[in-house]
Formats: sequence, C-alpha cells, structure tokens
Amino acid sequence: MFSQTFRSLWRNKLSSFLSSLTTGFALFLLGTSFLVSINLGYMYQMAESQMEIQAYMNKEASDAELAAAVTQIRDMPGVSEVKFVSKEAALEELKDMFKDKASVLDSLEEDSPLPPSVRVNTTGAEQIPVVVEALKSIDVINDVIYQEEVSERLAQIGKAVQYLSLGGMLIVGIVAVMVIANSIRLAIDARRQEIGIMKLVGATDGFVLMPFLLEGVFLGLLGSALGTGFAVGVYNWVAGKIAEFIPFMPIVGLETQSIQEMFGIMALTGVIVGLTGSAFSVRRHLRV
Amino acid sequence: MISFRNVSKVYNGSVKALNGVSLHIDKGEFVFAVGASGAGKSTLIKMIYREETPSGGQVFVLGKDLAKMRRREVPYFRRRIGVVFQDFKLLEHKNAWENVSFALEVTGTSRREINRRVSQALNLVGLLDRREAFPNELSGGEQQRIAIARALVRNPDILLADEPTGNLDPKTSMEIFSLLERANLYGTTVVVATHAQDIVNNLRKRVVELRDGTLVRDERRGAYSC
Repeated sequence: MFSQTFRSLWRNKLSSFLSSLTTGFALFLLGTSFLVSINLGYMYQMAESQMEIQAYMNKEASDAELAAAVTQIRDMPGVSEVKFVSKEAALEELKDMFKDKASVLDSLEEDSPLPPSVRVNTTGAEQIPVVVEALKSIDVINDVIYQEEVSERLAQIGKAVQYLSLGGMLIVGIVAVMVIANSIRLAIDARRQEIGIMKLVGATDGFVLMPFLLEGVFLGLLGSALGTGFAVGVYNWVAGKIAEFIPFMPIVGLETQSIQEMFGIMALTGVIVGLTGSAFSVRRHLRV
Repeated sequence: MISFRNVSKVYNGSVKALNGVSLHIDKGEFVFAVGASGAGKSTLIKMIYREETPSGGQVFVLGKDLAKMRRREVPYFRRRIGVVFQDFKLLEHKNAWENVSFALEVTGTSRREINRRVSQALNLVGLLDRREAFPNELSGGEQQRIAIARALVRNPDILLADEPTGNLDPKTSMEIFSLLERANLYGTTVVVATHAQDIVNNLRKRVVELRDGTLVRDERRGAYSC
C-alpha cells in the first residue's frame, strides 16, 4: 500500500511538489507568526518586570545640567525614588546583561552609544501619567518610556501580527487544501480504471481510498517539513541580524520548549491540511 | 439464486433498456442471454452484480434484494460474483499472476492462501507457465483466460460474462466457452451475454432472448434464434 502511494506521488511529481510547496508556505506563515508572538510575549514579560519610568536624556547635556534635572525630579510630587544612570553605567549594564555576547559590545568601549537616563519610581501607579507629563517638560529629557506604554504597544503589535498572519494563513491554508485536493484528483484520474476494477472485484471503499488519503497526509507532512525548515532558516537569519544590530533586544532561542511545541503543531497542521484535501477529493471523485 | 421481477431500467429518463423483465435462474444453471446490440443484455448482466439498479421492479441475487442493499454491503456481495468482460479489464502494469491475485488481495486473504488459489486458477485456465507475462505480451484469448482466472479465483457462486468472446476468433472463443462450461460443472451459476451464434447453437443451454428491453424467449436447450 505504501509503495503504491509513492509510485502515485512520483507519477505526479509536479503537482505533488506544488502541493507540498503551497502547504509549506501556509505553514511557514503559521510558524513565523508563532515565532513573532512568542518573542513579543517574551518582550512583554521583560517590560512588565520593570515597574518604573525611564526618562532618556540628551547625550550632549553636561553633567551639571543632568544633576540639576535629577534634583528637579526628586522634588516632584508623587516621585518616590530616582536613580540616575550615566552613559557609562548604561553600557556596563548592557554588557552585564549580555555577558556571553560581550564581543559584540567591545567596539562600543570608547564611546557609549546609549543616552544617560533616570529611572523614576512613583508612589503609586496612578501617579505615573502625572509624573510622565512633568518629566516631558524638562529640557534635557528627550524621551519618556514607561511600562504601560511599552506593554500596550507590544500588545497592539502582537494583535496586528496575529490577525495579519491568521488572515494570510487562512487564505494560504485554503489554497493548500485545494491544491492537495487537485493533486489527489489527478492521482485518482490516473487510476480510474484500476479503481473500477478494484470495486468490481469487491474492494471496500476504505481499501480503495486509503492510498489516496495516505498520499494526502504525506503531501501535508512534506509541506510542513518544508514550511518548518523555511521558517527556521528565516528566523535564524533574522535573529542573527537582530543580535548584530540591536544586541539588547531579547530573542527567544529555537531550543525553547514553546518553539519545540510549535514544530509539533506545524506537523499536525500539515497532516490535517493533507487529510482534508485528500478527503475532499476522494469524496467528490471516488463515488461508486 | 437470481430472480428478476418485472424489472425495468430507464436511462436518462427516456431510454428504456429493460422493460418488465421477469426471469428466474436457479443455482448451477448455465444461461445464454442473446439479442441484438442494445436489446438490454448488458444491462441485465450489470443488474446482477449491482452495477445498475432497477428503475422499477425487483432484483434478487443470492437471497438479497439488491435495491435495499446498502452501499457498504456491495463489496462483500461482489466477492461472491465473478465478472468477465469483452475488453478483459486487466491492469496493464500488473502481470498475469498479479492480475489474478489482486482479486484476493482486496479481500485481505493471507499470502499463503493467495498463492495456493492463484496457481490453482491459473492452472485451470492453462496459463500457469505464463504467469510472469504482462497483458500486452498475451494474446486476446490468453488475456480473457486470465480474466476468467481472476473471476474464478474466489470460487464465486455466480459467474457473469458480458460478450466474453466479442474480440476473439471462433477457435479461441470455443476455448473460452469450454472454460465457462467447466466452471459451471463445478457448480457455479453462469450467465453469458453473447452474440456467438454457433456456440450457442452447439452447446444447447438455456437461452433467454431480449428484444428492445423485453424478454421475448426463454427456452431450455435453446438455439441462438428460433
């Protein structure tokens, strides 16, 4: 039965290849959106752990100006704690965070590219917007970032990515099912006579359609292998680029459990897509 | 064994292939169905193995009302019937042996049992030594003998043949018919739709004649035409 499946797949090489490729593309989208949302979730967690407002200051500001600003902030109502982080300290912190990737940062030794900043804790969460407004009015402060905003933004991006990829996945998924269905239809057509004779000699429907279902499942699996491979390749490439240019951005490694689970889901989805496509075709074209 | 009760068959709403045919065939009979092309012989045969269902009337085969038979029962029903066609219907990419064993494989018979029965069937039709040959390497008569071996390999209760010698010369035809007769001797009920006048006249079996879908003659030890 398996040999029959492979013979049939080989006979329709082009359509088999195209079906796997389409399935692969659908699953590539699935995998990529998975990877992106896993990373966004990770970033969200990181951001949440920082319950403070960060105010980035002008890199060119003098020490006196910075000191004056810090004093001013300390005197603000609603502020409980202020910690100044100089350019050099920020770089040290960064290096500490990425000990294993220190080489990347070596070139930055001379002149820290990071701006000096203050980390401000408020007496309560409700004070955050007030303090943020006050901070923004200080001259040497260029940008104010606080957790709520970061997480909101991340959540928005995450949603957008999910909707976008869900839509794309749905479309490509339907196309994949149709392409597999067509591939199976070709296989059925090629074996019409044989199917007729099988039924004549008393083969049950199950016996007749099993090779075609197997064929669909195999195409789906092949597609998921292609899609996974492609997604992993692209992810590694992008992760490499990010590590190179934005070294402090947290990236989830491929060996994490959630990503391993993702591979399982991709394979399962491939099987489901293949089975759906072939079942569709078998139902339509294999009636007695 | 086979019973037609006032059976009609209408194709596409207008073409009447059978019209009120009543017919009873007992176990172990040998029956020729004769008549001009388009008289309804093929439809009659197809109804027996439930390739077609009647538009009116009832068909009983092997004790079952075929109109009431469920779709999933059909394969098991067909395993008790062997069918032979004018165009042999062999699989080109399978050799003689595989074409015959195929009929047992679909039923999930054990390999050992398959080997035993296929060689028996090929031996019966005298082609055991040609078992490796593919259909395109065999003559028409040989191909039909393989088809008969395939039909008989499961010891069917009924053997149906639709113009089995339509593509064969008279001498080869005679060989084919003697095989059908042999199967009949072993107790299989045989129904043959044919145009082979001389053979029908020689064998003197029961003859049913159809004309425009109507049964016009049913004669014990009959001739091709009266």
